[in-house]
Amino acid sequence: MENLAVAVQTSDTSLWGLFWQAGFIVKLVMVGLLGASIWTWAIIIDKALGFGRAKRAFDRFEQIFWSGQSLEELYRNLGDKRTTGMGSIFIAAMREWKKSFEKGARSPIALQMRIDKAMDVALARESDYLAARLTFLATIGSAGPFIGLFGTVIGIMTSFMAIAGSKSTSLAVVAPGIAEALLATAIGLVAAIPAVIAYNKLSSDAGKLTARMEGFADEFSAILSRQIDEKLPRT
Amino acid sequence: MRGSITSSAIIHAVLLGWGLLSFSAPAPMVADVESMPIDIVPVESISQAQQGDKKAPKVEKPAPKPTEKPQTLPEAQNLGDSDTDVATKPTPEPKPKPVEAAEAPKPSEMPVEKPEPEPEPEVKPEPKPVPVPATEMKPEPAPKQEVKPDPVAEAINEVKPEPAPAEETFKLPENVAMPEVKPTPPSQTAKTPDRKETPEKPKPTQTAAAPSKEKGIADEVAALLNDQKPAGGGAKRSTDTAALGTDKPSNGAKLSQSELDALKGAIQKCWNVPAGAEDAEGLKVTVKMKLTKEGEIEGAPEVSGSGNSPVQRAAIESARRAVMRCAPYSLPQDKYDTWSDVTVNFDPRDMF
Repeated sequence: MENLAVAVQTSDTSLWGLFWQAGFIVKLVMVGLLGASIWTWAIIIDKALGFGRAKRAFDRFEQIFWSGQSLEELYRNLGDKRTTGMGSIFIAAMREWKKSFEKGARSPIALQMRIDKAMDVALARESDYLAARLTFLATIGSAGPFIGLFGTVIGIMTSFMAIAGSKSTSLAVVAPGIAEALLATAIGLVAAIPAVIAYNKLSSDAGKLTARMEGFADEFSAILSRQIDEKLPRT
Repeated sequence: MRGSITSSAIIHAVLLGWGLLSFSAPAPMVADVESMPIDIVPVESISQAQQGDKKAPKVEKPAPKPTEKPQTLPEAQNLGDSDTDVATKPTPEPKPKPVEAAEAPKPSEMPVEKPEPEPEPEVKPEPKPVPVPATEMKPEPAPKQEVKPDPVAEAINEVKPEPAPAEETFKLPENVAMPEVKPTPPSQTAKTPDRKETPEKPKPTQTAAAPSKEKGIADEVAALLNDQKPAGGGAKRSTDTAALGTDKPSNGAKLSQSELDALKGAIQKCWNVPAGAEDAEGLKVTVKMKLTKEGEIEGAPEVSGSGNSPVQRAAIESARRAVMRCAPYSLPQDKYDTWSDVTVNFDPRDMF
């Protein structure tokens, strides 16, 4: 009974105490998981804000685009600004259109193909930008629990070795080591759960935005194709 | 991106700080177990009953047996109604004898009138109930041994037919009777007046003469004889109700299990089990020894074991050595009766 009381008193059961008593590997795992968690949340915040901004920008752009403003005018307005998403697709297409007309394009089909290529490239770049770093969330979501479990297993292993050395099976001797080892799994889960949820949400959001850009690119391609037909003289 | 990293770091820092505070000291779990009080009580107090009455109620102060008479001996050790301190148990006194003995003196007083005894008993029974026979019997052997058998009514019948006593009794019929009566007066003053009433004056003088001649011898014999009534042991008086207990007292002297184990352990320590003995089946050696009060072995321990094989002989020798080597056994002195004779069974199989 006395032994037990002494053991309880000497083992610090606070979070910091648990962390500080852990072995080197467990500490490393916990620190790494903490960093991963911080990075995960940074990505989540960044993406959530960025997707919100992108969505608003798309809405604004579509509003302007379908407001009946002439394409030339719109291009002139946007040309000097830094654009993202739909805007950059529009700019890429218009730039190609302008270049082709200035140099006197002969074939409407070739012009159409060039404009589509330019828009594809812009679209790929924009969707890449949207989906950037989401893979890190996926990685943390799937590997985080395993990393934490690794830390736990190492911690429990060392604590059991210590118990074997002390030749005491008292729960007070066993408990602190297990608690500190389980802390690693807890941190792993803390990092992984939001990462998984956020990854699912953000990747679906990115997919939606990309689909919206693809839709715009197709529509804009159709408009340009019509314009080409109208503007190019029939031979 | 930098802004989101810093905000994420800040959020983590805040959460960790909250966690450090809230998880800092979980209250130690208190085992919700009530402690069970255990008293260790020597079993003897329960298993060893005192002498007493089996059906008596439990009382604070136990007494083996209630007595009727008041205490006469201050230092009496044994309980009972006797005037002397005797350990023997009281035996019931035969009832018929006193009546017959009471008749005996009458014929002696009036040898001529045989049929008379009937009227006299009515008068005498009161004063001579119990003590008469005892006191009357002893004096008889003193003067003449032939009279011994008279204690009772037989005496009356036998005295006359017998030739030897007849000679003497014929000379002085009263003389024979008188010695019988004589001794009684000293013990019972109440009887003497009765006899005096009967007009027989020569008796006292003759009887007085007879004892005076042989007085020394008579006294010696009387002194040698056990005057004690066989009945009624003990002299210590007890008026308390009998205690709850058994008929036979067990004295409380018994080696407790721990004392037995201590003795066993002491012997076991001294015992070098011979090699190979553990395999032998039924290799049992019994050692009987007598111990002195100091725990030393008295005489040689008696070792018994069957078989004549070398292993058996080795086992016997090892047992003897073990007992001798442990020799001064420390056992409670007050229980010497129980361990004065010790039998030790050595069984090698128990050692492994």
